[in-house]
This record gives sequence, C-alpha cells and structure tokens, in this order.
Amino acid sequence: MDFSRFSGKERVQLNQYIQKKEMNDFMHLYSNLVQRCFEDCSNDFTSRALSTNEKTCTENCVGKFLKHSERIGARFAEQNAEMMEQQAKQAGR
Amino acid sequence: MSFLFSGGGGSAANPSAQSEVVQSATTEIEMITDLFSKLVNSCHKKCIETTYKDSDLNKAEGVCLDRCVGKYFETSKLVTEQLQKLQQQPQQ
Repeated sequence: MDFSRFSGKERVQLNQYIQKKEMNDFMHLYSNLVQRCFEDCSNDFTSRALSTNEKTCTENCVGKFLKHSERIGARFAEQNAEMMEQQAKQAGR
Repeated sequence: MSFLFSGGGGSAANPSAQSEVVQSATTEIEMITDLFSKLVNSCHKKCIETTYKDSDLNKAEGVCLDRCVGKYFETSKLVTEQLQKLQQQPQQ
C-alpha cells in the first residue's frame, strides 16, 4: 500500500490497525491450523498420546499448509495485480 | 474490490473516529485479507490431500492450487458482472 498519500496522524492510526490485525490474523492462523491438523490427523482415541503416525501427519500437515498458503499468496498477488490493472484501464476510459 | 461498494458507508459522528481516508484504507485491507483467507480455505479443501504422507506440495496439488486461484478470481468477476447486470435492470 502506498503510504505517501496519508498524513502523519493517519499513518500512526493505520500502523496501529495493521499491527493489531497482524496479531489477530496470526492467532487465527494458529488456532485454525491446530484444528485443521488435529481433525485430519488424530482419529484414533485408543491412546491419549499422539502416535508416531499422528505426529508425522501433524508435522507434515503444518509444513504443507505453510507451503500451500505461500503458493496461494504468489498466485493471489499476480491475479490481484492483473485485476487492479484492468480496473485502472476501465477507470481511465 | 472497491467497485463493489462504491456507495461508501456513512460514518457516525465520533470524535475519536478515524478519518475517511483511514477507514477506506482499512476496509480495503479487510477485503483483501478476507479474500485471501477464503482462497486459502477453499483451495485447501479442494486440492490438498489430507493423508499428509509428505510435507511438500506434490505436483498435482501445486497445479490444482494454481488453477484454483485463477478460477476463484474468474468466478468472482463473473458474479460481480451478473450482480451489476441485475442492479441495472430495474432502473431501465
């Protein structure tokens, strides 16, 4: 985002907002990831502790999710840039 | 995505309220991050194998994700166009 169009006070407000949002989003990411990997990997409750399989599955689940969202992010940025360009073109007509 | 809500929300009188510029910037950030998290969830559901034998994305998953994002954007564009059409019709 281009910050040069904001005044000093607005920049402070925006930075506060972004910091708060980053924190919130991270907490959400964390709790959603725990839930996702728990639901996909832990299905056997004959033991209280995670089995080796469940442990490996959970580790892979986390690793894969991070790579997944990285890839989505890359494609998202491309598509978003393309969409902005089209909008700018439309607005300029 | 701001074209969807070109009307803009009426801001209530609040002395500590953020200026309109800040509000529209935060709304834009909200919309973009919201879209991103929807993409992450939808495409995970559609593309990622939940057996988790490997922590790397396999080839099929990668291709699926790339297409998934493209398709999501195309869908969003199509829905926007349809909605705009519907909005314009009664005024004619």
